[in-house]
Amino acid sequence: MVSLLVTRPEHDPLTRHLSHWNKKVIEIAESKGHEVVDLNKEKANKKEFEGRVNKIDPSLVLLNGHGDNRSVCGHNNEVLVSVGVNSHLLENRITYAVACSSARVLGVEVCAKNNTTFIGYDEYFILNLDRNFLANPLQDRRAERFLESSNHVAISLLKGHTCRGASNNSKRISRRHIASLLTSATDPEAIEDAKDLFWNMSHQVCLGDAESKI
Amino acid sequence: MQKQAGKKIPSDFSTDEEIRRLVIARLKTTSPDTIKCIGNEGSFTRDQLIEHVQAGDEIGETIERVEMEWLRALKSGIVSEILTA
Repeated sequence: MVSLLVTRPEHDPLTRHLSHWNKKVIEIAESKGHEVVDLNKEKANKKEFEGRVNKIDPSLVLLNGHGDNRSVCGHNNEVLVSVGVNSHLLENRITYAVACSSARVLGVEVCAKNNTTFIGYDEYFILNLDRNFLANPLQDRRAERFLESSNHVAISLLKGHTCRGASNNSKRISRRHIASLLTSATDPEAIEDAKDLFWNMSHQVCLGDAESKI
Repeated sequence: MQKQAGKKIPSDFSTDEEIRRLVIARLKTTSPDTIKCIGNEGSFTRDQLIEHVQAGDEIGETIERVEMEWLRALKSGIVSEILTA
């Protein structure tokens, strides 16, 4: 059994969709008997994040939220972890951050330490939604294209794949969706979504110890 | 020319204005129910995206960068590789 820490802020459409779709990852982790600390909504704050990381020493940290080159945020965009402040909290673990651009500086910095992996994005993470499903994110089939491939990083890690393998599996799912969209004769959103899926796939990076597993 | 990572780089596809027209034409074909979340920049409807591209602001430039990366991928054959994989 390993310990996981998940942050799931929910204060705008992007974080709400990420949060709801991450419940599938949590279900899989719990079904495998792993300990999951779920920092949802207001609990996704810096004090809780720091306290829980220090207490449970998680092997895997899943960060969902907004971010920039140097930080990842929680609920209402409170900074949870940032370069030069508390980024050491991500050392000696595997982190998957669905947060814009955080791989650029934060990911590079934490991976300067051995036995550390940071999978994330070195550019904006783009998510296309259907406004009719803002209140029911799990029924949004359009968002599914984006979030199924994103979720596959964590799901692959839970299945015992290496970090490199998990990232590759996620990209494989993205390629499958892109291929399906490009051959669709009926989906008016096909090109737009294929283009944005390609963008996310191209900017997902695996830094540090790519062969590590949870 | 196209802006990427804060600097202009040469593009062999088109001029800024032609790219902008292409992006707007593409956006107009998408559903009005579309909401595009662009990381920490926010969530935008189709019509808001068109306004940003027309204004040539930071959001508009991001949309153009995504379009350019896609066009380069098409040109380089990556998309064909995806379809035949």
